[in-house]
Amino acid sequence: MDFKLTEKQQQFREEVRDFLKAEMARGIYPFGSIHLAGALSREFSKEVSRKGWIGLAWPKEHGGQGLGYTDRIIMLEEMFRMAAPMAYHYMGDRQVGPGLIHFGSDFLKREFLPKILNADACFALLFSEPEAGSDLANCKTTAVEEGDHFIINGQKIWTSGGHYAECGWVLARTNFDPSISKYNSFSEIIVDMKSPGVTIRPIINIVGAHSFNEVFFDNVKVGKGYLVGKKDNGFRQIMTNLDYERAGIDRLMQNYRVKEVLLEYVKTNKRNGRPLSGDTLIRDTVAKIEVEYEVARLFVYYVASLLDQGKIPSFEAAMGKTICTLFEAKLADVATTLMGLPGLLMPGSPEALFDGVVCESYLWSPSYTLQGGTVEVLKNIIAQRGLKIGGK
Amino acid sequence: MDFNFNEDQRILTDMARKFFEKEAPKSLVRETMHDRKGYSPPMWQKMGELGWMGLAFDEKYGGYGGSFLEVAIIFEEMGRAAVPTPFFSTVILSGLLLQDSGSEELKRKHLTKIAGGECISTLALVGKSGVYSKEEIGLEAKAVGDHYLINGAASFVPYAHVADNIICAARTSPASGEGVTLFIIAGKAEGIEIIPLKTIVGEGVDCVVNMRDVKVNQGQILGEPGKGWECIERLWPKIAVALSCKCVGGMKKAMELTIAHVNERVQFGKPLAALQVVQHMCAEMFIKSETSRHAAYHAAWLISEGLDCEKEAAIAKAWCGEAFKDVTKIAHQLTGGIGFTEEFDLHLYTKNAKNLELLFGDGVFHRNVVAGRVGL
Repeated sequence: MDFKLTEKQQQFREEVRDFLKAEMARGIYPFGSIHLAGALSREFSKEVSRKGWIGLAWPKEHGGQGLGYTDRIIMLEEMFRMAAPMAYHYMGDRQVGPGLIHFGSDFLKREFLPKILNADACFALLFSEPEAGSDLANCKTTAVEEGDHFIINGQKIWTSGGHYAECGWVLARTNFDPSISKYNSFSEIIVDMKSPGVTIRPIINIVGAHSFNEVFFDNVKVGKGYLVGKKDNGFRQIMTNLDYERAGIDRLMQNYRVKEVLLEYVKTNKRNGRPLSGDTLIRDTVAKIEVEYEVARLFVYYVASLLDQGKIPSFEAAMGKTICTLFEAKLADVATTLMGLPGLLMPGSPEALFDGVVCESYLWSPSYTLQGGTVEVLKNIIAQRGLKIGGK
Repeated sequence: MDFNFNEDQRILTDMARKFFEKEAPKSLVRETMHDRKGYSPPMWQKMGELGWMGLAFDEKYGGYGGSFLEVAIIFEEMGRAAVPTPFFSTVILSGLLLQDSGSEELKRKHLTKIAGGECISTLALVGKSGVYSKEEIGLEAKAVGDHYLINGAASFVPYAHVADNIICAARTSPASGEGVTLFIIAGKAEGIEIIPLKTIVGEGVDCVVNMRDVKVNQGQILGEPGKGWECIERLWPKIAVALSCKCVGGMKKAMELTIAHVNERVQFGKPLAALQVVQHMCAEMFIKSETSRHAAYHAAWLISEGLDCEKEAAIAKAWCGEAFKDVTKIAHQLTGGIGFTEEFDLHLYTKNAKNLELLFGDGVFHRNVVAGRVGL
């Protein structure tokens, strides 16, 4: 048992901090957003790429740095702490690259890994559909083979970043034999989002932000070389990929600013002439948030340590994401309530404290326990894979 | 970072678990709860023979110079066994207090006996209000000539009735230095009256200690006169972490009992475990036990490395104390009627969980420490 970060890891954290301070000081990037779509800057991603920090945990033979997942968590923790604009390279770095390294052909690796590493391609994930949310195997989008091509038809929804990504990672049905299990009927295909037949329609969420989209495929032609991994094996590939997605620190840290703001508010404000920090109930409320944050943070590092030992965390990653999203969903609720009426002021409003970030975060919060697997789906995984009860 | 036990720690876990499974069957646990001694002397003796009372202490006092992690493991396994013993009061409340704050002479005299498993010792800290604060201490020591006379009452003193020594926290009068002074007194000293209480965990665990003109001399003072509370505060993180580890063991076992039940119990033609709502409740127990495990051992590791751990220890106790209780609540809901019976083992954990939640500071108490550490 050893909870210490290595000397090298501690130095790396400092290096990331220094880098971010310098980049932020240039004043040309959108730092400070609590959501990915508000944090888009290809130029910033280029700077991260120059440091070699895209693909940090990818193997060296694929152009990565070959560092560990713990190193990656350290970097992301610092990036999120400053709310750095990572949207352009985020999906490619986290999910698409590792997916291609695992399953992709040499052609796809050559074609896309350098683009991701150099911040020359931004990816969107196109899995969910109107009829396939938690039940992803109910996808209706089809990819029919026609000579050297697939012809894709169907509709995707909740596509984050679909409006700015150049590339789409699409799950589509490729096997139509009804005697074959649904789980063996899907494939993953990379699609150029500018292809003829792709239509993107924005969806405005309850925050008033455009972060996700509906995407329509109308006879979209894609070369067979863009099939990822084996045909009909897409569902399995996605499940492995999701374990990596859930192993992250995103859901713990994306609203870090709200936690900071909450502390600052309590430290600097008085009510009825008395400092808030002297109020027993308020102290307990803030400390509850802090305790939950630290407990979740420790768990994220635990999951990273499993990955570094060569294990694929499955129920552990689901558990980590559950803890983090429940924390994140609670954070803004606690902060708005504690601030009272000023907690209702939206970004841009006169009198808004901290740019209205607390209220904005509250409106985002219902999405946290939904994306990347709802808390309920994650609890199924924890029970079935972790406790081995009630499996199918 | 490495969250795993090393080989030695795995062996110790395994050994301790097997020991308690053999030596502390649930029949013994039930018997002990209703026994006025509050512990099993033969089992206590065997624990001593294994050297567990000396795990935490320097070799020069007869200990094994082990790290706090080894002590933490014993606590986890004791929590799993749910067996009452004077281990906590002897090793943590007395032994570590002596090791950290006692003079060389006191250590040679008392710590060697504790480390050797030759005595039971305890700490009389709180007054009858049961509140952990300087102001609520119920004993007072007055300097009379070259000695002191102690009067008053301490309560919730674990195993005072069977203790060879009681360390007493007493308010010292202004003349002899304002504050709290710790005295180490023989359990059978003249003027001491001990009354066992019947608490949620048993009839022979906690006691009221009444003192009437108990005479003590300067040599019995532990630490500096008037600075006793500071010694207690220094010990607090270790207390909190030991108890957190006990919670971890307890909640894991309570969860296992419950999972066995939902797998076996058939309703609507299938095991309860086939119902998603039941799976989710089990997942919640699992989340609590896994997070608690990491929080407790993280703090234990900090202690073993000699690093500051005030915040982490407080996080551990606030989290684990409430998590254990929450796990027993879910466990009761899932085990239904059978879980509410004396014959089913769950209640042993329900009772320990409530006790451990409140012992040496509940969630609010420890979160107040956390609040201080984030600048409030």
